Amino acid sequence: MANHDDSGKKSSENEVPTFNAENLQSNMKVVYYSRTFMSIIGGVIAGILGFTGLMGFVVYLLVMAITSVCLTARAGFSIHSYFDSWNRVLLDGFLGGLLSFVLFWTFAYDIVHIF
Amino acid sequence: MSVSFAVGVLAVLMLLHAAYSTIQYRALLKITEDEFTGPPYEVLVELILVLILSLFAGLTVPGNFRSILPDSDENRVVSLPSNMNFMIFNHRGKAFPTESSLKLILN
Repeated sequence: MANHDDSGKKSSENEVPTFNAENLQSNMKVVYYSRTFMSIIGGVIAGILGFTGLMGFVVYLLVMAITSVCLTARAGFSIHSYFDSWNRVLLDGFLGGLLSFVLFWTFAYDIVHIF
Repeated sequence: MSVSFAVGVLAVLMLLHAAYSTIQYRALLKITEDEFTGPPYEVLVELILVLILSLFAGLTVPGNFRSILPDSDENRVVSLPSNMNFMIFNHRGKAFPTESSLKLILN
């Protein structure tokens, strides 16, 4: 067979929706890479601009919101043919990206403003 | 794919250039003893460009989204058997009149 299917069950529905888990995993990887890259770029930008404290986290939220919108646009606004729920594309790499963002933000701020 | 990768590399290079410009600007401010309120306008424009370019590169380089529905065109489970053991030719089709204009349509 060309593809093998895994079934995903939702307990509250009558029918069992099946989807191709291999493609779902590949889509999740794409989302994760995109978010990590944008977090890093956003971190360096926040460091260069000299933001400290809460303003930097506002920058992070902004960058993540823009990334989410662009990911949704890339999926053609029909999320259900590429992912099984909205949370996956909107919230998935959020905390991991936050850590990368803070790391590169501190890094860039130190290099540009302190040394 | 390599175009998007080049765009990503360009975005990172522009980011480094913006950082270097800001370092030089701060050195200048130290000489004139002014406060740092924000990087100069060119650096701001450059950073906005970096954001746009890196958005483009960050979304195109990892690859395309693939459909997860089982009934989409790229998820077809049926494929022609590539195993020659199951291709037999000694069947009842030989009772049909031969027509040389018949073409086999492969999907």
